[in-house]
Amino acid sequence: MEQREFVRAIQSCRRRLNLAGFLGKLVSALGVGAAAGIVFQAVSFVMPLYYARHYAVLALFLALLAALAAAYLRRTDMEQAALVMDSFGFEERIVTAYGNLGKEGALVALQRADAMKELRAHRDRIRIRLLPPWKRTGFLAGLLAALLVLALVPSGMKDRAEELHHVKEEAKEKTQEIEEVVEALGQLEQQEELTPEQQALLQEMIGSLQASWSEYQQVSSSEMMRAVTEKLNYRYENMGSQLADLAQSLQNGAAVSSVTAESMQALAQKMQEKSGAQLAKGNAGQPGGQGGSDQNGQGGQNGQNGQSGGNGDQGGNGQNGQGGNGGGDGDGQAGNNGGSGAGQDGDSGGSGRGTGTSSTPHDYVSIPNDIADSGNLTGNAVDHDASGYFHAQNGLSWEGTHMSHEAVIGSYEQNAYEGIAAGKYPSGMEEIIKEYFSNFD
Amino acid sequence: MSEWVNGGLQDPAYMAQRIAACEKEVQKGIIGQREIIRQVMLAMLTGGNVLLEGMPGLGKTRLVSTIGKVFDLSFKRIQFTPDLMPSDVTGTNIIIKNEQGSAFSFERGPVFANLILADEINRATPKTQSALLEAMQEHTVTVGNDSHALEEPFFVLATQNPIENEGTYPLPEAQLDRFMFKILVHFPGREELKGIVALTEGSQEPVITKQMDSKGLMAARALVSQIPIADAVMDYLLDIVMDTHAGNPYIREGASPRAAQALIRASRAKAFLEGRFNVSFQDVKEMAFPVLRHRIILSFDAVSEGIGEDDVIEKILEENNKV
Repeated sequence: MEQREFVRAIQSCRRRLNLAGFLGKLVSALGVGAAAGIVFQAVSFVMPLYYARHYAVLALFLALLAALAAAYLRRTDMEQAALVMDSFGFEERIVTAYGNLGKEGALVALQRADAMKELRAHRDRIRIRLLPPWKRTGFLAGLLAALLVLALVPSGMKDRAEELHHVKEEAKEKTQEIEEVVEALGQLEQQEELTPEQQALLQEMIGSLQASWSEYQQVSSSEMMRAVTEKLNYRYENMGSQLADLAQSLQNGAAVSSVTAESMQALAQKMQEKSGAQLAKGNAGQPGGQGGSDQNGQGGQNGQNGQSGGNGDQGGNGQNGQGGNGGGDGDGQAGNNGGSGAGQDGDSGGSGRGTGTSSTPHDYVSIPNDIADSGNLTGNAVDHDASGYFHAQNGLSWEGTHMSHEAVIGSYEQNAYEGIAAGKYPSGMEEIIKEYFSNFD
Repeated sequence: MSEWVNGGLQDPAYMAQRIAACEKEVQKGIIGQREIIRQVMLAMLTGGNVLLEGMPGLGKTRLVSTIGKVFDLSFKRIQFTPDLMPSDVTGTNIIIKNEQGSAFSFERGPVFANLILADEINRATPKTQSALLEAMQEHTVTVGNDSHALEEPFFVLATQNPIENEGTYPLPEAQLDRFMFKILVHFPGREELKGIVALTEGSQEPVITKQMDSKGLMAARALVSQIPIADAVMDYLLDIVMDTHAGNPYIREGASPRAAQALIRASRAKAFLEGRFNVSFQDVKEMAFPVLRHRIILSFDAVSEGIGEDDVIEKILEENNKV
């Protein structure tokens, strides 16, 4: 046996040892990974864990990587391979010969020759087992089978986890969408050309959307998702029409850049699309609103518009027309801005002035299905068109959802204190509100 | 390999065969005790000294004299007694009268031989025991201002009785360390005893023939010292020696560096005697007992628990198991 053949014999043994080492480590690592996967699967039976299967697969994959890394880091070198070969009865001849391969000397040469002779004569003694012991392999197979069974067995908790996951995903998309809209509104609100009233309107829209954002953060079921989405769509629809009106009025105004108005118009259209409604420019509005009566918040502003319309009516000389947001056919636009459309009325020279739906956003009304054992609830949550409240108060109703007290009390309290700080509440009520919330602490 | 003359003193294979033949010849004169013979042969191959511990009458003197015959070496026996003086061992300067007048002349003591049997060495005083120290380590004897070299090969085989401790002077650690091996000689088994009786009480003494001379023995020693040791085996050997120190609760004092040297040499010699030219883990493991047992000092814990030196060594070997 020549030196090259001797070294090749050790290399061959080394390759086999490395492969055997990898397989052994792989079985051990996969066993750990499978055990971890079983734990994830078991947990998914008692609590919603949508990613249980993913985690199990990840654990097995990590186990594979760990086995590869361990096998690489602890790979057998030539000397170790020679030592292993010696353990098959060669009495350290091979490792000694390998260690002295490049050395000269009579006894060294004699020893090398002796080692090669022994190796040639008894190479068949070297039996390196590739596969780990069958007990370990069998144990691993059992673990993998258990993992597979647990992964495939259906359960209510798994369905719940899936539902929750989809709800969270959808909520995430919606919150991103809301953030984009809020940002766009925020940019519009920063425009200096806008009047304080218009800015307040935009700020109110932002606040409304932020409320929806918070609701999405707390969504934990499909029902809640549906309800919150309905609310958002309603808000979009409302805001879309308000923005469209605002944009129209800005386009007619001289002091506002066309860019701002166009942005607002685009945003309004976007909101209408999101809400599923069609934006109808110049759509004739319903008579409404007590224009000019200043009876209700924003209605006061609309009332001013109504007066502008009146000016338009009277404006035969055109000046009033401008004053009436365009006079003539401008009246129509003004009418739109005033509420929901005196467009046609505007065409008639302002005959419809003074009317127009209030643009005050009326928010939704949630009607709980049940509160404790009280049966004294009214309204039809499912078919809100049939709701007496809806018809009587021009409100909308949604089927209410149950939320835990702990989930909302914090945000309610914060809103209340912010309201107190902003002076929203009548004098004397502040202390009552504070006392109310302090009772919860 | 061309420089090696087949059948010559520098041919390792031939010399290994000759040494094996010597061992076989010694076994003709000593019934049983094969392990003792093997270890004494190993000590001779490495130039080490041996301390034999055993009861009287177990063939120690016969062993040494037989080895002397087989290797054709001069043999002297010194019976150590309490009144033995150092000069009785090393020799002394005496006044010689001749034609030129009187002059001091060195009269060689019994230590001037190839094989010395220091019988019951622990019966002599420490002063006399230490007279052997220089001879055992340096292979020289200094009397007065003159140093006298001993003949090579020089080999001391000392004996001591393990049970009769009254009136004895236990060997100090420094002197024990000079012995390469401490060999425990056990009472022979029944069959061995039968063979001993038949051999010694029979009408015919076995004929022991010379197998090798001192030159051959020195050549064999030179070959043994060249036997290669793999790094893994050397690490194993050093681990064993180091483990006699590191936190071993049964050891008060561990083995000296001389122990590591002795273990290397003994392992090489064992491999050579078995016809191998490399040291194996098994060689180291087997040599650990005779090399280390007299070089470690047991702690009080070990003594109180009845744990002996060989038990401690066995434990160390188990912890460093390679075989």
